[in-house]
Amino acid sequence: MAEPVIVDRVTKRFAGNTAVDTLSLSVPSGVIYGLLGPNGAGKTTTLRMIMDIYEPDSGSVRLFDDLAGGRVHSARIGYLPEERGLYPKMRVLDVLVFLAETKGVARKAARAKALEWLDRLGLGERRLSKVSDLSKGMQQKVQFISAVLHDPELVVLDEPFSGLDPVNRQVLLETVLDYRRRGKTVLFSTHIMEHAEQLCDRLCIIARGKKLVDGTLADVKRTHGGKHVVVEFDGGEGAARQIFADRKLIAKAQDFGQHAELELAAGADAQDILKALVASGARLSRFELASPSLHKIFVDLVGPDAATPDKERAGA
Amino acid sequence: MRKVWAVIRREFIERVRTRWFWISAILGPVLFGGIIVFQIAQSVGGGVRHIAVVDTGKVGYGVRVVEALGVSRTIRADAASPAPGVFDSLTRLVEAKQLNGFLIVDDSLPTDGKAEYRASNLSLQTIEELQRTLNRVVEKARLEGRGVNPAVVDWAQALRVTLDQKKCQRGACTAESAGQSFIIAYLVAILLFMAILLYGVNVMSSVLEEKRDRIVEVLVSSLRPFQLMMGKVVGAGAVSFFQFLIWGVSARILLNLRAPIARALGADAEMAQGVQLPHIPFATLAVFMAFFLGGFLLYSAMFAAVGAMSSNEQEARQAQQPVTYLLMISYLSIIGLTNDPSSTFAKTLSLVPFTSPIATPVRWTAGSMPTWELAASLVMLAVAIVGVTWVAARIYRVGILMTGKRPNLKELMRWVRA
Repeated sequence: MAEPVIVDRVTKRFAGNTAVDTLSLSVPSGVIYGLLGPNGAGKTTTLRMIMDIYEPDSGSVRLFDDLAGGRVHSARIGYLPEERGLYPKMRVLDVLVFLAETKGVARKAARAKALEWLDRLGLGERRLSKVSDLSKGMQQKVQFISAVLHDPELVVLDEPFSGLDPVNRQVLLETVLDYRRRGKTVLFSTHIMEHAEQLCDRLCIIARGKKLVDGTLADVKRTHGGKHVVVEFDGGEGAARQIFADRKLIAKAQDFGQHAELELAAGADAQDILKALVASGARLSRFELASPSLHKIFVDLVGPDAATPDKERAGA
Repeated sequence: MRKVWAVIRREFIERVRTRWFWISAILGPVLFGGIIVFQIAQSVGGGVRHIAVVDTGKVGYGVRVVEALGVSRTIRADAASPAPGVFDSLTRLVEAKQLNGFLIVDDSLPTDGKAEYRASNLSLQTIEELQRTLNRVVEKARLEGRGVNPAVVDWAQALRVTLDQKKCQRGACTAESAGQSFIIAYLVAILLFMAILLYGVNVMSSVLEEKRDRIVEVLVSSLRPFQLMMGKVVGAGAVSFFQFLIWGVSARILLNLRAPIARALGADAEMAQGVQLPHIPFATLAVFMAFFLGGFLLYSAMFAAVGAMSSNEQEARQAQQPVTYLLMISYLSIIGLTNDPSSTFAKTLSLVPFTSPIATPVRWTAGSMPTWELAASLVMLAVAIVGVTWVAARIYRVGILMTGKRPNLKELMRWVRA
C-alpha cells in the first residue's frame, strides 16, 4: 500500500520569514508518526500544508499517492487543529454531526457514531450541552472525536495532548494507540518528548523549518546519543560531581540533582564509572545502562534554548 | 454539494434557534395586529370628535351648522349658549379632554366667510369635514339671500360626487390612490434597507465567529473557501426568507380575522372590511423579491469579506463602515426617490448596482419605470453580483486564515490578485 503522506521538499514563507524550509518526510501506512520540534519550528505550518489549508510556495504534498490535495481526500483524513475550533453556542452532538457531514458522512450515520464516541470518552451525558459549557479538557475530547468520527485512514493531530489533565491524557493516548491497532495511520505533532517516546513508531525532528533527523524511534536512538548510563542517588552523593566532570569517562552529563543521565566518553567503560562512583562515597539506588531518552537527543540536536521545558511538561 | 448543504442547514438552524429570530418573528405580527385594532377602534368610537358650536350672532347660523353636522359620522356637535365667559369654560373642557374642540361662528359668516375653530388637536380629517360643512351652510344662506327656494338648494346639495381613483401603469389600471403608492414605495424601501443590512451583518458575524473561534481551519480542510462562503450566504438568506414568510402568513391570517376582532371590539363587521391592505400586484411582489435577493447577495458577499479580514467585533465594526455607507446612499435617497421617481437622479440610482436593490423596487412601485429599464437594472445587478462575489471570495479565502492586524487597502489588492 502506498504511503499515506509524502511531503517532498516543501517550503513555505510568511512575510519574508521562512516557516518551513525544503522539508521532506514520508509517513508509512499503519504507524504512529511523530513530528517533533520546539515551539515555532514549523510543525503546525507543515501539518496545515498537508491538510491543504496552506499551499506550499514550492515542493509538493502527496496524499494516498495523489497530488490532488487534502480537500479531495477529506473523507479519508481526520484533523485536530492546534488551536481548537468548535462553535461555542452549538450543542455538542450538533457540532459533531455537522463536522462529520462536511466530511461527507450521512446525517443519521454521523449521529449514531457521535453518540458512540461520546459514550466511549465519557461525554455521553453532555451531548446536549452547549460547547461553551464544557471544560477545556472536555472540549478537547469533543474536538478529538470530530477528527476520528468518520473513521478516516489517516488522522493528523496537532499537539493533541496539550492542556489535558493526566487522566484524560491517558484516555486519549490509549485511543490513539487503539487507532493504530486497527491499521490506521496517525501523524501527530508535539514538543513534549515523553509523549513522543510513548507513542511513536517513527518520528521526525524539525527546528527552524528544517529537518534534523527522521527514522524509526529505535534508529534515531541508535544513531544519536551513544552509550548512556542513568544513575540515581540514595541520600549521599559523595564526590560524584567530580566524576561527572571527568571527560575521560563521561562526555556529557545531564544532572538533575537526585538523578543524572550520563553519556559515556569514547572508549570508556561503564564499569569504571560505577567503581569510581562507589569509591567517591556516593550511595546509589540505581545504576543502569540505557539508551538515551528522546528528550536528551532532542535537546542535543535542537540546543537547550529551543527546548526549554514549559509548563505543560510538569503534568507529563 | 452535500457539504455545502450541511453548511446551509447549520447556518439556518442555528440562526432560527436564536432568541432574536423569534422576537422579531413575533414582533412583526404584533405590530400588524396593533395597526388593525387601532384602525377598527378608530372607526368605532375613538374616531368620533365631540365639539361645541358657539354662535355669537343673532341670525342662528350656529344652529344650522349643528344641524348640518348631524349627518356626520365622525363629528358630534352641540350648540353652546354664548353666555359671558363661555370661551374660558369651553377651553377648560378641552384641556380636561371632555371636549375635542369648539367652533365659533357669528352673523358675518355668509358675508366674509370666516369662522374659528379651537381644539387641543387639529386633526386634518376634522378640519376638512368642518370646512366642507361650513361651505355648504354658507352656500345655502347666500342662495336663500338671493331668493332661491331652500328646498331647491337642499336638492342641489344632496348629490355628492365620488371620484374613483385608478392608477395606470404598464397597460393596466388598478384602483390605488396616489397616497397609497407613495406609502407602499416608502415601506418597500425601508423594508429592503433593513433586511439587507440586518441579514448582511448576520453573515459577517457568522464569518467572524468561525474565524475567531478557529473553526474555519477544520472546515477549510474539507470544503473550498468559496463553498463555505456561499453556504453561509445562502443559509442566512434562507433565514430572512423564512422571516418574511412568517410575517406574510401571519399578516394574511390577521387580515382574515378582521371580522372577529371587530366584533370583539364592539364594531360591526362592515366596518372591519374598511381595514384594507393596499393592493399589491404580483409583479411588484416579484420585483421586490428579485431585488431583495440580488441586494442581499451583493451586500452579504461584501459583509462576508469584511468578516474575513477582521479578527474581532471591533475591527469588523470599523471595516464594515464603507459597506454600510454604500447602502446608506440608497436609504438617504428614499424621500427623493418617492417624490420624483422618474427624475434623472432616480434613474441613475436604479441602474447603479449598489443602489438599485432599493431604488429599482421603489421606482417600480411608484409606477414610473419602463420594463426595459427594469431589465437593464437587473442585468447590471447580476453582473455586479458575479464580480463582487468573485472579489469577496478571494479576500475571504486569504482572510479567514489570517491572524494579526487588519490588512490595508494595498494588502487587500494583493489578496485579490493572488
